[in-house]
Amino acid sequence: MTKKKLLVNIFGPILSVVVLISIWQSIVVWGHIASYIAPKPLDAVRSVTSNWSTLAPLTWWTIKETVYGYLAGALLGAFLGVILSKIPLMQRVLYPLLILTQAIPIIALAPPLVMILGFGVMPKVVIVAWIVFFPVTVSVLDGLNHVDKDLLTLAKVFGANPLRRFVVLEMPAAVTQLFSGLKIGATYAVTGAIIGELAASSGSSLALYQRSASGALDAAGVYGTTLIMTAIGIVWFLLVVGVEFLATPWQRRSTARRWRRGAKPVLPNN
Amino acid sequence: MNNSTLLDLRGVSKTFGTTTALSPMDLEIERGSFVSIVGPSGCGKSTLFNVLSGLLRPDDGTITLEGNNVIGATGHVGYMLQKDLLVPWRTVLGNITLGARLKGKVTPENRELATGFAEKYGLGEFLNHYPSALSGGMRQRVALMRTLATNHQLLLLDEPFGALDAQTRFEMQQWLLQVWRDTERTVLFITHDVDEAVFLSDRVLVMSPRPGRVVDDLRVDLPRPRTLDTLVSPAFTELKARVLHQLHRERAV
Amino acid sequence: MVLNQYYQTIRGNRMKRNFLSISVAGAVMALSSLTVLSAGSVASASTLTSVKFVYDFPGPDMELIPVVVAAREGFFKKNGLKVSVEFPPSTSSTTQLLTTGSGDIGFITTSDMAVAVEAKAPILSVANYSMTNNWGLFAKPGSMLTLASLKGKKIFSWGDTWTNAMIPFVLKKAHLKASDVTIVTGANDTPLLMNGTIDFTTSTTNYAIPGITEATKSAPVGIVGSAAGVPNVPVWVYAVTHNYANQHGKNVKKFLAAIKAATIWASAHRAKAVADFIAAYPKSGYSKFYSTKGWNLTVPLLTNKAGKYFVQTNAQWTTLATALKGINLIKSVPAPSTYYTNKFIP
Ligand SMILES: Nc1ncnc2c1ncn2[C@@H]1O[C@H](COP(=O)(O)OP(=O)(O)O)[C@@H](O)[C@H]1O
Ligand SMILES: [Mg+2]
Repeated sequence: MTKKKLLVNIFGPILSVVVLISIWQSIVVWGHIASYIAPKPLDAVRSVTSNWSTLAPLTWWTIKETVYGYLAGALLGAFLGVILSKIPLMQRVLYPLLILTQAIPIIALAPPLVMILGFGVMPKVVIVAWIVFFPVTVSVLDGLNHVDKDLLTLAKVFGANPLRRFVVLEMPAAVTQLFSGLKIGATYAVTGAIIGELAASSGSSLALYQRSASGALDAAGVYGTTLIMTAIGIVWFLLVVGVEFLATPWQRRSTARRWRRGAKPVLPNN
Repeated sequence: MNNSTLLDLRGVSKTFGTTTALSPMDLEIERGSFVSIVGPSGCGKSTLFNVLSGLLRPDDGTITLEGNNVIGATGHVGYMLQKDLLVPWRTVLGNITLGARLKGKVTPENRELATGFAEKYGLGEFLNHYPSALSGGMRQRVALMRTLATNHQLLLLDEPFGALDAQTRFEMQQWLLQVWRDTERTVLFITHDVDEAVFLSDRVLVMSPRPGRVVDDLRVDLPRPRTLDTLVSPAFTELKARVLHQLHRERAV
Repeated sequence: MVLNQYYQTIRGNRMKRNFLSISVAGAVMALSSLTVLSAGSVASASTLTSVKFVYDFPGPDMELIPVVVAAREGFFKKNGLKVSVEFPPSTSSTTQLLTTGSGDIGFITTSDMAVAVEAKAPILSVANYSMTNNWGLFAKPGSMLTLASLKGKKIFSWGDTWTNAMIPFVLKKAHLKASDVTIVTGANDTPLLMNGTIDFTTSTTNYAIPGITEATKSAPVGIVGSAAGVPNVPVWVYAVTHNYANQHGKNVKKFLAAIKAATIWASAHRAKAVADFIAAYPKSGYSKFYSTKGWNLTVPLLTNKAGKYFVQTNAQWTTLATALKGINLIKSVPAPSTYYTNKFIP
């Protein structure tokens, strides 16, 4: 990446956020919007910092729900994608069922989950996983179904057994697709956790804190919690993008890093 | 079948439903020779390669490679398909050693051999590059190196230069001849291009349209190494004319 | 078994404060409300004054019957009004919709009112809906429910301002600390109650009794009002902004006149009133049984000891504000006149 590109990549997003916040600030100030309707951006931030001792443990819970649920959903999703693609019968039997899971409103899912799993982290983890697994399954299935047929032929010519063919060719070939599913899942994960918290919480939760703030006409508190939720979502998405960045160097580099297996230092040739 | 015969086909045929892709075919290929196959599109050239490599089981006939019956087996020939089929997530070195990886682990010997090939044939600087950084000609070189690295005596090359521009193509042809001479392999080479067939080969087989069968078998005794001058020599022109004549005669029938 | 129960409940009785069904239901209702409520009106729209009424909950339920009846039986029209019903995207956002001008007359809880005044939102309560506090704790039929039995129990809350405000009073009367009970929040209490996942739920009589009765075929046990330690104040009021009160006081007057006539009619013709509600909102999610029982339980709440509708008192607002200050929900107790006026009451 050139220096210029790097600057654009870093300052572009920062600039757009600054512009957005400025617009928000101007609308609130010049539009004479009452503080119980919408806060100034700084007030929303201040509401977070001044209530941080209350919010920190709640935020930590939401992060846990999001991360556990996401990891469980991603693993399950990838596993189902492989099963579906490898066992054609499964595609016919399981696929309609998987679509059904996504057609069930999450709201309807919550009460039985709470009855079975209680009010703790588990039902939220299940809800997040429930939301996350589907795009991952679909993308893995898609990736595996669209591996170049000639490449599979080539594996046969080389005399590879199906397991090696899968590990060496099909899995890496589906990686790009896998990440598109993982990224979609990452954007949904926090939402799932928040829905889960609304559906069932013991004591307090970020979602409930927001509800109470809303009920108390504390717009700064409402927007502040939104900022926290958004931040969790963005950071998680960026983490997934970061993993993709590291896991798929061929998509942006022309040479492998030196330490990569099979790589050999490039010698100056003369 | 004499001692120098590497590959021996007897009565090999293949039909797809009602389409006869290969009518019973006899063919002997000498060890170390460079044999081209020309013929109109759809005459069964690729089918022949698929049968030889074990991807397809022939309906009938025997195939003997180095004295062994190889019908229904795979992993005994180097086969380079029309597309280069480099995998984008492996480097040039990783692609050359792909055959070894698909059979198990890539050993230091595999890597050494691959590196040796690459360095010898102009890819040394690119060992650590991903295929996306390579030109079309370079990619084909890597694909051929990968085929060579499997250490099979018989190489099946199915129109490997079909997608290259004329300039690159000529460079690649000379490069291929050098590789072939150095490594002492036996090459079966499919092409549409009569010039290419005559220029490269010891023997040119002309196939008829469906049902596919060999209608002419020409020896090419042009001196090696072959150069630009070969292309304009009267002997070359004469052989080329004969192949073209055969092709067109078949087409007129 | 568990699922079965659950789906039965979903079909039969989606609780009023099932706040998760919100957005979708709310949006659909909001879209359909205009046409449905004006059905049967023949007078040209231009002679009628338009008023936007905003409910306290994202979807309709039987407490909306006075408004539905006023629309469908012609009481609004008789008073020169054409009223559309809007549903807020979430509970406790009705006051915000009023201050932004998205609604004219709102239906809110008295705790919402107190919070709005505390936040300096220019809102004024113009009439009581109900006269007493019928909120409390409820449990499955046959369960043991006394203040002494609360310790260590799981109590369900809807997480809204009213419930948040009431629970501390219950704990105080039971001599318990917040940590002595587990307050859990969820989307729907009845299945959890049936299942034993929670011990008690919190609600008002007119919602809890029909819901639990429908699910169990017998009446729940409960401790309600002063027995539960909560201040005896009205739960719901009609409210407008100061602006609307100043500029469109006539509309408020006409609205309350129509509502009064409609309420009297709906109390006398209860089956017909429920039928009107079901016709206006066939997809409310509530059964006829639920709405009928709910309305029957609501009617006696609507009048004070003297049989009067709407009338607010200084005492009710002072009691509420003092109580809420006591649990730190608000910081100061303003003069009762800050909260209300009775001048629009017919
Ligand atoms: N797997 C297959 N199934 C059915 N028909 C095939 C198959 N492979 C090749 N054919 C048919 O066999 C004939 C020969 O094909 P091919 O060997 O690919 O010709 P080419 O000489 O162009 O390489 C063609 O008519 C083709 O359509
Ligand atoms: Mg072909």
